[in-house]
Amino acid sequence: MWLRSLLIAFCEWCNNSFWGHGIRNSTWLFPFVEIFHLLALGVLGGTILIVNLRLMGLRFKNEPVSELARDVRPWMLGSLAVMLLSGFLLFSTEAVKMYGNWAFRGKMLFLLAAVIYTFTVHRKVVMADQSRLAPAVRVVVAIISLLLWTGVGLGGRALGYVTTSVGSVSSLLP
Amino acid sequence: MSLASFLQWLYNTPFSITMRESLWAEPIVETIHVLTLTLFLGFAVLLDMRLLGVAMKRRRMSEVLGQLNPWLFGGFAVMIVTGVLLFCADPIAFYSTTVFKVKMIMLVLAGLNVLIFNATVGRKIAEWDLSPTTPGGAKLAAVVSLVLWVFIISAGRWIAYALPPP
Ligand code: HEM
Ligand code: HEM
Repeated sequence: MWLRSLLIAFCEWCNNSFWGHGIRNSTWLFPFVEIFHLLALGVLGGTILIVNLRLMGLRFKNEPVSELARDVRPWMLGSLAVMLLSGFLLFSTEAVKMYGNWAFRGKMLFLLAAVIYTFTVHRKVVMADQSRLAPAVRVVVAIISLLLWTGVGLGGRALGYVTTSVGSVSSLLP
Repeated sequence: MSLASFLQWLYNTPFSITMRESLWAEPIVETIHVLTLTLFLGFAVLLDMRLLGVAMKRRRMSEVLGQLNPWLFGGFAVMIVTGVLLFCADPIAFYSTTVFKVKMIMLVLAGLNVLIFNATVGRKIAEWDLSPTTPGGAKLAAVVSLVLWVFIISAGRWIAYALPPP
């Protein structure tokens, strides 16, 4: 299938890139990038949590949802950018192995869903005039956001433990 | 009982043995330790940014503190409990690494930083509650806190690399 060949070609390209080589062959660069992945995880997760807790009426009840969201937005976008970049760098050190890793695939699907959801439905509800929304709607929208992002986090944790490979890529390994 | 014999005793407790030998115990506890960073580190950074006068400027300091603190402390409790459980899995090996000891010392320093803040600038919040520019003492506390958390998280991640080979 063309998508499969495209993904494999992309993984090979990342694997053989100068940054893939560089981080893989350095003793301290990999942990260094991992630390950025973790620090950004904290900040990104914190901004997502606080907005969702507000949506559920659990924190900052006296503030309009949209104002709180606007306040933390630069921190959310900044940490998301660091997450994506550091994640991409970590991935590039073992991209060919990651291709067949089911936890990694799950993580990427959850990530795609979480990002799309955050910038469409979630954003719309957060920015809406809250008096026109039923409380149940806000709670459900918040819970879906939390579930999607938890999926990304759990996938990130799990991918290191997965050793079996779904697609056969052994022919690609050097 | 000396520290070495305490660690040896802990290592041989049924709980420690379970943590070490169970297929699931350590991965699950470590996952909670890592993912709770979202609550704990995320809220700590938001608070520090308000203390620096960088984020949530228009919000009262006392409100930001009041709203974030209960959950921040909840997250901190989870970090400590899961951290201690992880430590139990192999107390001798973890304690043998310098980076683990440094992490513990920095945790104590971070705690002292909070106590000092509460006893000084934190007591006079009413005077600068609504001011977007915060006093120097508040900024100092925030910078010390941010620097310590960055190093604590780096140290936490580094433990795995410093462990003696099994
Ligand atoms: C906002 C989105 C993301 C979140 C919330 C996230 C979360 C996580 C978490 C929690 C871990 C485990 C870290 C540890 O235990 O030390 C992890 C590891 C990892 N992530 Fe991400 N990640 C994100 C984006 C990405 C992206 C875009 C990629 C790749 C294209 C990626 C690639 C990796 C890799 C390869 C690891 C394994 C390395 C390691 O264990 O440190 N991540 N991620
Ligand atoms: C707020 C306080 C704490 C923070 C922010 C923190 C942060 C971290 C981080 C980021 C990791 C790396 C996890 C990973 O990526 O897989 C870690 C690992 C670890 N932490 Fe903590 N930690 C805290 C408290 C504690 C405490 C109190 C203890 C023990 C008494 C502890 C014991 C450990 C151990 C043993 C590991 C290593 C697990 C391994 O690599 O096998 N932590 N910590």
